[in-house]
Formats: sequence, structure tokens, C-alpha cells
Amino acid sequence: MIIGVFGLNHTTAPVEIRETLYLSESITPILIEELKKHGISENAILSTCNRTEIYFATEDMEETIYTIKKILGKHCNIQPEWLSNYTYCFTGEDAYRHLFLVASGLDSMVIGEPQILGQVKDAYRTATFHNATGFFLNKVFHKTFNVAKRIRRETKIGYNPLSITSVAIELSKKIFGELEHKRILVVGTGEMCTIALKYFKKEGVKEILITNRTFHNAQKLAEEVIGTAYPFRDIPELLTAVDMVLTSTGSEQPIINKETVTGVMKKRKNKPLFFIDIAVPRDVDPFINDIENVYLYNIDDLMSLSQIHRADRMTESRKAHAIVDEEINKFIQWLQHLDMGPLITDIFLKAEEIREKELQKALSRLNTVDDETLKIINLLTKNIVNKLLHPHVSLIKKNGTPQVLEMMKKLFKLEGFEENDDEEKLDSWDKG
Amino acid sequence: MSIYIFYLSLSIYLLSTVFYLLYLILYKKIIEQIGYYTLLSGFIAHLFSTLLRYMEAGYTPITNFHEALSFFALCIVCVFIYIKKKYRIDTIGSIILPSISLLLIWASFYPSDIKPLPPVLKSYWLPIHTIFSFLGNAIFFTGFFISIVYLITERSIKKKKLSALSRRFPSLETLDAINYRCIAYGFPFLTIGIISGSIWAGFAWGSYWSWDPKETWSLITWIVYAILIHNRLAIGWRGKKTAYMMIIGFFSILFTFFGVNLLLGGLHAYL
Repeated sequence: MIIGVFGLNHTTAPVEIRETLYLSESITPILIEELKKHGISENAILSTCNRTEIYFATEDMEETIYTIKKILGKHCNIQPEWLSNYTYCFTGEDAYRHLFLVASGLDSMVIGEPQILGQVKDAYRTATFHNATGFFLNKVFHKTFNVAKRIRRETKIGYNPLSITSVAIELSKKIFGELEHKRILVVGTGEMCTIALKYFKKEGVKEILITNRTFHNAQKLAEEVIGTAYPFRDIPELLTAVDMVLTSTGSEQPIINKETVTGVMKKRKNKPLFFIDIAVPRDVDPFINDIENVYLYNIDDLMSLSQIHRADRMTESRKAHAIVDEEINKFIQWLQHLDMGPLITDIFLKAEEIREKELQKALSRLNTVDDETLKIINLLTKNIVNKLLHPHVSLIKKNGTPQVLEMMKKLFKLEGFEENDDEEKLDSWDKG
Repeated sequence: MSIYIFYLSLSIYLLSTVFYLLYLILYKKIIEQIGYYTLLSGFIAHLFSTLLRYMEAGYTPITNFHEALSFFALCIVCVFIYIKKKYRIDTIGSIILPSISLLLIWASFYPSDIKPLPPVLKSYWLPIHTIFSFLGNAIFFTGFFISIVYLITERSIKKKKLSALSRRFPSLETLDAINYRCIAYGFPFLTIGIISGSIWAGFAWGSYWSWDPKETWSLITWIVYAILIHNRLAIGWRGKKTAYMMIIGFFSILFTFFGVNLLLGGLHAYL
């Protein structure tokens, strides 16, 4: 049985292709069933906006890939041959590594982003729900979740926020602690503002005040996010009542200047005020950052913090890759042992079978055998068998590469050798 | 006997310090918790050693440098435990704990044998005056560290460079709130300490106020904090200004406590 993955991601395919091959939650079950019907009994489909991947366990690699391409092509109206330009296919060790990297966010566009683990879990859940996972896929996915968790635990890969909004929220928390009792004033109703505002709302800000040059737009946004709209000229008064100010207007001139804020701070009794200016050109006079207890971050400041975090993530991602390598080795070793145990048993069984047969033959030729002689003959044959087998078994145990295992199977004529699917045995090995 | 328990508590504090420093580096909740419980056990041992010393000596054991430093550290631990119960300030422990350990190590360098109490100190005012003064100073001592942390964090936010360290400190608002509490609680204690001292001086030295260096310097300290309180309430001083003032006040305390004895002498020479 070989584990493989076939698919595409943001590095191999442009967005149009990814869009065409995106498989929504309603389609995946149908596809899973169809793959099963075509003999790919173990398969799992992972489809996000940045990747579409099919994981499978198979005996015949080429046949499987061909089937997958055909089915995918049919569903997405793409020529199967044409798909090859954008897709990759990994098997065995490379496939495990790929899944480990994907689940821990190391293969994501934004390295270390946490959502992907949930998406992988969902993909696996859907597959198990449709009885499309067997022993091998189950093992690989469970191992994957462990590895992803270990990476979260041991590295700081997801530690620092990357998006501008999350950096702004982190800063707000650094200044104010929890945001539950804080008020935010939004100046402007652009798209950026609206998105950022939703994040602040999620943090549970107490009150949202909205103002805009066109009052009507302010009212509209206020209705949408449950806030209150105020006229544009009220800004100085509004500044005395809020803790955070988010600005993003299309104004050519700064709309909040240093004099206003200096006056406001007196009225506020110097309670801290945090300006987040995501407008270009800037809405807030940059010099207000010099006023005590006033903090101003414009879009460049937020960007550069996010860049630093990105660099931090790169170092963390190196650590994470090391963990993946380590876990891959462990997993491969484990898989080999999985092959080895039954093989050794089979060799001994085969030998015992031969010994028994030959012993009976010999005994039938002898007329009278007393118990003592029988015992000695028995022991003699056993010892011969064991001594002959010993080097083979120790070779398997010490150096159980697939080639050696294959060789042993041939040597002992164990062609019909079947892999043991005993889950319990595996688990006990896993714990060890 | 009490001195052995004192050393025991010192070693437990050192252990707790190690945990708290590790916490600052590794930032794992469990380490902080272990550190905190270690601190609590150290505190119990320390409290016990102080009570034992009280019984062995027969007077409030705040009469020489060893006893004073030890009691001062005890007060700081008290203050820290109290603040920790109120606010989430785990990483502050990583700064307070080393200072507590250092104070106790310093204390252990001074002679710790119990001597008969000088007649001038035989008074009911001894525990009142010392305990209030020390608690007040311990609160300001904590406020000093809170202020330093505030300034580091504030600076990193202003300069738009969040360092790993400032990322781990509490929010500015929390730090400022603690700072304010330190002033609000520390000031009354200090005031009672000074007034009780003055009354005691009236009995012991015949004059309530004799402009002894210790008296003068504690008055200066008192004035620094009085200005701070006034400005905070009246003009809304917050954040950086409060933090700087707390630091000035702290140095004034330091001088009152050590400088006066080591450099100026005077009536208050025993401590």
C-alpha cells in the first residue's frame, strides 16, 4: 500500500485555475464516492482557496493518478492532460511530509496561519464520514494532527499576528488591556475601515461611533455594525469620548491635527488615545505621536511590524521544518516495523511448518522411538532451524529497509505475504 | 533558630526567582504557576522566621539592618501577592522576585544575632512606626518597578518597535492602574509612619520634630508623593509623568533608608 497526494496549490497554479478546481463542501462527498467506485477506496479531499488536494492509499500508483485526473477533469470541465501543468504528485515519504507541512501551515501562503489545520481536520472528517479512510490514511492523518500540534506547541510559528488589522488589535490590547470597556471612533466608511471594524467588534468593544463626510454612509455602516453615526464636524468632541480612533477617508489633507488633539487630551485628563490611520494619504497629522499618552500608528507602521513578524516566522518555520523531518523519520521507522513484525512471524511459521513435516517423515521411518529420543530429536531440529534463521531475523530487525524485506519475502517464498492490519499492535508501538 | 528558617525562605525565594526568570524567557503559564506557589511557600517560611525572631527577641524585629531588610522584603512579597490577586501581572514577578532575593542576600551579610533592645527603642511605638513605614515603602518600591516596566513598554509602543520583552509585559492601562493604586495605598501608610514616628520622637527625644536628617528626608519623600497625588487628581497626570515621579520618589526613599544612615548620621542612627 502506498500513500500519495495529488493536487495543486498557490505556488503551482494561478488563481483562475485554483478557482476552477475549488471543490465545495457539497461536491466533495460526491467526488469521494466516485473515487471509491473507481477503486480508490481510501481517499480524502482537501480544498481551500489556496489548494485542492486529494490524498489516497493505493496499490497501483499510475492507475490511481489517471483515475483522479479523469474524475477531477470531468467535475471541473478541464482536460485531464492539461491538469498536469499545474499539479504535483507525491508518494510515500514525500506525501507524508507534504501533509505534515500543509497541516502545520508551513505550506500556506501566509506561513503559520492556523486555519489550515481545521480545514485538514474537516477534510479528514468528511472522508471518514463517507467510509473513505482505511488503516493507512487514518494512521497518516492522526500522525499529521500530532505533528501539527507539536509544532504549535514547540515553535512560535503562529505567535505574532501578521495582518494589519490583527497588529492594530494587538497594539490596542498592549495599550488598553482588554477592549471590552473601550469605545472606538471610525472616521470614514471605506472597505478597509469596515473590515478592520469587524475585527474590533469581535474583540467586544463597548461602543462604536461612526462619522463620515457623507453622513448617509456613516448611518449605513452604523446600521450594519450596530453603532451610532455622528456628523463629521463633531470629531473634536467625539475624540474626548473614545479610546481608539480608526481613520480611513479619501481626504487629501489631514483631518485631525495636532492642535485639536492637544486640546482634546486636556479635556480627557490625559487618558490614553490610540489613533490607527490606515488612510493613504494620511488622515492624522503624524506629529500627534509626540503628544503624551497619544499613540499613532499609520499604515506603514503597521505594515513594518507585520513584516518583522513575518521575518520572525521564517526563523520559527525553520524550527518547524526540523520537527517535521524528525517526525517523518519516526513515522517511516514505525511503518517499517509494521511490515517487519508479521514478516518475521511468517518466516518462523514457514520454518516450523517445514520442520514439522520433515520431523513426521523421519519419525514414520523409525519404528520405535522412546520419549527421551523424541525429545532430543525435537530439540535438535528446533535448534537447527533457529540457528539458521537467526542471521536473517537480526538483519530484518537491524536494517529493515523495503529492499531487505522484499528480498526476505522472496527468499522464504512468502509472496502471498499479507500486511497485518492489526490496529492495536500499531497503537502499542506508537506509545513506545 | 529563626535565622535557619530565614535562610530556608531565602533559598525558596531563589528557587522561585529562577522559575520567574525562566517564565520570562519561555513564557509558559505552568512555570509561572510553579514559581508563584514556590513564592507562597517561601513567604510562609519567611513570615514564620520573622514571628519566631519576634518571640526569641521579645521585641518587634526591625531594629537593625539585617532585620530591616528582611522585613522590607517580607512587605514587598505581601504587596506583590496582593497585586497579583487583583491584576494579571505575571511577568512583573520576573522583576520583583530577583529584587526580593537580592534584598535578602544583602540582609544575610549583616550580623543577625539578637541583642538586647536599646532603652530608647523600648516602646509601643516601635511596631506601629516601623510596620507602617515599611509597608508604605514596600508599596512604593513595587510602584518603582511597575513604573520602570511602564516606561519600557510605553517607549516601545511610541517608537513602534515592540520587543519580545515589552510584548510580555502587561498593558499600559493595567500598569498605570497599578501605579495609581501603589500611590493611593502607599501614601497613607507613609503618612501614618511619619506621624507615628513624630509622636514617638516627642516621647523619646522630647521634641516632635527636630529636623534630624532622617526626618528631613522622609518629609522630602512625603512631599514628592504628595505632589504626585495632587497632580494626578487635579491635572490628570498619567502614564509617563507619574512613572518618572514614582522613580524620583523611590530614590528619595532609598536615600532616607540607607543614605542618611551611611552618610549623614543623626538621631535616628540605629536604622
